[in-house]
Amino acid sequence: MSILGVELRRSAALGAALITVVIGVGALYAATGRWSGGWMALAMTIREYLLLLWPLALMAGAWQGRREHRAKVGELFASTPRPPVRRMLPVLVAMACTLAAAYLVVTVAGLAWIVTTARYLPLVNFVVVTGVGVLSVVAAAWLGLGVGRLLPALVTVPALGVAGVLLVGVGSLVPPDRVAAAISPVHGTSLFHDYQTIDSRVSGAVAIWMVALAVTGLLLFVAAGRRARLAAVVPVLLGLVAATAVVPHDQDVLNWPVDPVARELVCTDDTPTVCVSRVHAGVLDAVTPPARDGLAVLAKLPNAPRAVHEDTGVVGFGEDRATPQEGVVTIDVRIDRRGRLAHPAAVVPEIVAGLGVPYDGKCRNRHAATERAAASWLLGREPRSDVGVVPGMLAEDPELNAEAVTLWQRLRRLPEGEALARVTAVRDALLVCEDPVGILSGSAG
Amino acid sequence: MTWTLLYLRARRVPLALAAAVGGGAVVWGLCLAFAEDPDVAPTVVVLTVVLMVAALAPTLAGPDENLERTGSLRWPWRRAAHLLAGLAVVLVVLLATLPTEARFGPAALVTRDAAGLLGLTALCATVFGAARSWFLPLGWTTVAALYPQQGTWGAIATWQGQSTDTRAATWTAAVLAVGGLIAYSLAGPARRDPSE
Repeated sequence: MSILGVELRRSAALGAALITVVIGVGALYAATGRWSGGWMALAMTIREYLLLLWPLALMAGAWQGRREHRAKVGELFASTPRPPVRRMLPVLVAMACTLAAAYLVVTVAGLAWIVTTARYLPLVNFVVVTGVGVLSVVAAAWLGLGVGRLLPALVTVPALGVAGVLLVGVGSLVPPDRVAAAISPVHGTSLFHDYQTIDSRVSGAVAIWMVALAVTGLLLFVAAGRRARLAAVVPVLLGLVAATAVVPHDQDVLNWPVDPVARELVCTDDTPTVCVSRVHAGVLDAVTPPARDGLAVLAKLPNAPRAVHEDTGVVGFGEDRATPQEGVVTIDVRIDRRGRLAHPAAVVPEIVAGLGVPYDGKCRNRHAATERAAASWLLGREPRSDVGVVPGMLAEDPELNAEAVTLWQRLRRLPEGEALARVTAVRDALLVCEDPVGILSGSAG
Repeated sequence: MTWTLLYLRARRVPLALAAAVGGGAVVWGLCLAFAEDPDVAPTVVVLTVVLMVAALAPTLAGPDENLERTGSLRWPWRRAAHLLAGLAVVLVVLLATLPTEARFGPAALVTRDAAGLLGLTALCATVFGAARSWFLPLGWTTVAALYPQQGTWGAIATWQGQSTDTRAATWTAAVLAVGGLIAYSLAGPARRDPSE
């Protein structure tokens, strides 16, 4: 134990762990909005930052692996009757423990930010994804130790660093996807939707590959002769073959798979029903009041929708838009950087905007100005530009709003019943995908 | 001539040159074999530049800086020539790939990053010593190449990863290049005990 303590103090282990924590936590908190959504988002974002942490562990290992060469004690140690493995073990353990602990500290630091807001915890998947991350940094450190001892030149360390960045960063982009998923712990960790997860077979493949790299590093580190060093290539090759054999073939499983449980709807007990996906369950209480306000506005129409659901489709990821349900308005639920509901003021406009008719992605007969004029009449206020209200809307044609205002003023001059009939007519036209233009502006009668 | 040969050997230039050129050649070979687009991705270009610069960094000091300084030579000119020769190596190797099927370009990007990073490395060598001079360039460039930022301050902070028409990035690189060249030429590498 005391030898381990000495190694902890004398080796690069603590310094490397400290830099890992600083870079990891710094990267996390530089953009909290990327992972404030939940536990899986956090685990996967930290895995993405292996882009920086993996080469760092590799370099730390290589820096440490050069030690005997740097201190010029190789010959001295060779003359001692102690097996080299006994001498190497403490430093291997020290590097592995401190870097693994550093990765976990980064994870805990992230959890501190989301633990009060994130409700959905897929524990097994979270542990697997984090565990593979821990395994990856340990493997990188051991591989670095081995290569640093094999090639103890000063230039080895930076060269390994760049090689590490290229392996995990560019390696995650190289076609085919199956090889990328097997060799890069970063592959598939960039978040494209909120229900994203990593398939456990992909995690298994990365784990196999990382264990193989770790064994190679171990063999290189303790190897004495040329033959033993050559033998160290075997685990890498075996690991690559095994990992690519384990990786699933299905493209949708490799890239951005959906966690079906995270996507299930969680609803309010009382009516009018408001539902959000399980991963967003923490903001249900925040969504419910504005969502019900929106439904109340729509309730002026006959056969108005009676429920609001989160739009849980992940368009563009091998999935079509879900067919809209009768009597249900779908809205996007966004999470801000603190893990709370983002843009609460956008909920009512979003519900009322399409007059409760969801956009199915196919209908070409939507008319923004007409819809906005009708929605504004229901809301009882002048039509406003979407810029600054709908998130992500950066610019729009000013004529659109001018046209909506003209239509809205005409609508306001009509008697209440007539105006409502026209707005209802617009809604009915949208429902069956007919052109709504002219319904509002037509002459009275 | 003997002096040059001895100097190159004392600075471990053959190994560094082999690592720099070899590293560049490996990346080039991989791009040639696997990349579909003949124009190599800018991130890979920037990382290759920093790989070559970091490989050349240990040559910025000899085994014993204190001993070396006792030689009554005009060190500033020699140090400047050393840096410019390093820049020439990086540029020649990477620009030689332009006629091939895996192009490390554009030339302006390679020139800006190579000059700026060599200057930064030289600056670090004068402060931390040659053995540790690549820490900051490598770490900074990795972050900048992977997560380039917008805006003037973002462009200055991540100048390595900006496109070539970003003026702020070009100016940052120029300041680092000139500053590094002047500081390293005049002050020389930091003095360390000769074990490194």
